[in-house]
Amino acid sequence: MAEYTDAVHANVVHEHKDHAKEHLREKHLMLDPLPRGKMNEMVMESMTTTSWKFWVVFGILSAIVAGCLFYVWGYMISEGLGVTGKNRPSYWGLFLVNTVFWIGISHAGTFISAILRVFKAEFRRPFTRAAELMTTFGLVQAGFSVFMHLGRVWLAYWLIPYPNQRMLWPNTHSPLTWDLLAITTYLLSSTMYLFLPLIPDLAMARDRSTGWRKTFYKILALGFRGTEGEWTHLRNAMTIFAFAIIPVMFSVHTIVSWDFAAATRPGWNSTIFGPYFVVGALHSGMGAVVMVLAIVRGTMKNMKYFIRGEHFDAIAKLMLIISMAWAYFFFNDYMVQWYGGDKWTHQLLHFHEAGPMGWMWFAMLIFNIAIPWAVLWNQKWRSTPWIVFAVGLLINVGMYLERYIIVPVSLSINRMPFTWRLYYPRVEILLGIGTLALFIWLYMAASRLIPLIPVWEVEEGQMAHELKKFGRETVVSVSELE
Amino acid sequence: MTDNISRIEPSGQVSLLAVFPDLGPAADAIDKLRALGISDDQMNVISGVPVTEAMLGRPSQWTNVPRLAGGGAVLGFFGGAFLMYGVPYLYPYPIQVSSQAVIPGPPTVVILFEITMLGMLLSTFLGVFLDSYFPNYRPMEYVKEVSEGKIAVFFKCSPESKEKITKAMTALGAEKVEVAEVEQL
Repeated sequence: MAEYTDAVHANVVHEHKDHAKEHLREKHLMLDPLPRGKMNEMVMESMTTTSWKFWVVFGILSAIVAGCLFYVWGYMISEGLGVTGKNRPSYWGLFLVNTVFWIGISHAGTFISAILRVFKAEFRRPFTRAAELMTTFGLVQAGFSVFMHLGRVWLAYWLIPYPNQRMLWPNTHSPLTWDLLAITTYLLSSTMYLFLPLIPDLAMARDRSTGWRKTFYKILALGFRGTEGEWTHLRNAMTIFAFAIIPVMFSVHTIVSWDFAAATRPGWNSTIFGPYFVVGALHSGMGAVVMVLAIVRGTMKNMKYFIRGEHFDAIAKLMLIISMAWAYFFFNDYMVQWYGGDKWTHQLLHFHEAGPMGWMWFAMLIFNIAIPWAVLWNQKWRSTPWIVFAVGLLINVGMYLERYIIVPVSLSINRMPFTWRLYYPRVEILLGIGTLALFIWLYMAASRLIPLIPVWEVEEGQMAHELKKFGRETVVSVSELE
Repeated sequence: MTDNISRIEPSGQVSLLAVFPDLGPAADAIDKLRALGISDDQMNVISGVPVTEAMLGRPSQWTNVPRLAGGGAVLGFFGGAFLMYGVPYLYPYPIQVSSQAVIPGPPTVVILFEITMLGMLLSTFLGVFLDSYFPNYRPMEYVKEVSEGKIAVFFKCSPESKEKITKAMTALGAEKVEVAEVEQL
């Protein structure tokens, strides 16, 4: 009898262990390896399988881009900036709100790809490229928004330092010149950083495609074979990029914040604006990353294997921490301004909360602080894609409102009460919708052409992970392969 | 059109490739090749994931990328310095704006930082191209199984030792050992 009981017990323990292993495998992509060929096939299939719904959405977006972005922009150029809502005292309107917003979105790609790579955060592996694409496409929208703001966009080259017939070089005293250099540096760096780890996946796609795709991937793969030398050069370059692009990322949004903070305006002239803007950028950027991942997972074939609840859980934890950091910086900035006692600053703070746009101020706090704190403490909710998507969407709305409050709402109040006037955007709204449509359009187009999953990075991670027993518990163990 | 050409070495040696399913057998094969008199500079390993030299027991690979990055940073720094210190004096006369310095201190730091970083990152990127001879569209030795996760070991040997080495590689787990073919990638 005792022998029988022992056997039953052993069987139960064995089943329990199997169940625990199976559970870990289901949960963690790194513990659920598939043959490399199968993963390649899945990623290629996700690029080449396109439903009619994709083309309908793509067509609608194309129409919005043509109508709202290019047609309206052409109209604005032909009629002049008078067709916008910009007027005294709000000379900076929605265009600069959009610029700051898109630069913010672009920060998440670098944050995820570079910082998490430096710290060897393994959960980053399947979605680094999806985030890096956001950086590049977000910066394109930021560039468009700045060009719209310029009005006479054909004279944008005046910002570029070169010897010209007017003997006038850009004034390097101006934060706007720093902006040009910082955004250009960031756009070029992030595009190169997107391309380098893409080369091995382009080579994989080259080996598995025919027709025009074969030619396309062959050109872009540059003849990559995967020799020891090629990997060494690539690995070194990616390490340099991962470290060097982080201060560039910080500098970009800090410089954007100086566009405001360097002015002696009430509400803007704050020494904490640099880190406050950087944290705000990460806040909206991380929100955008989870939105993109949820859409990619839900709409693209085979993506449920690569993007799992664990990834949403990990990003949502970061969102929660960043939300707390944003709340800290917001309150720090608010406290000092409120305590300062300057009459006009008090007027402005009161206007933010109790003016006609007060609802924005409260909505900003609810979306950026209250909702993330209320939802993201729960692991089950953090692992549920649609819940994290909704929180990400609300954070982005909240961060957009924050930029709206900082730019046109704050400009409505100044030291000359006779100029006080609310800003009402006009064609800027359509142009803003146009940039959003172009961002989604570019992303959709890229999803058909570029492997969104870095297969070699996933395989490398899967090679490094194993289940290990500590006493009676089976735990995940990671080896350092680099 | 796939352009497959059998590799004929001018030295009279043959170029072979052995495809292994995993790292372990590939590392053993490299040791065996060395024991059979094939030096490291006559071997090359191709893989679909980055495999370190230590894993395969291979000598360290030389790369110029960090040096090029450093050089680019220096060039960028001097470019920024020219923009800040040289350009104001290219005017017929330096333009004095109120009481502001002609060469302002803090903005100089910003410009120097951005252009130094731009120089460094651009040269890092170009460094990969230079060191890897990218873009390279000439026919090269390659097997597509590499992007399926296999490890390919290319090596050169004398025609007389070909059979012996083939047997040794097969015994160590090579899925195939054959004459390496150059392929139009």
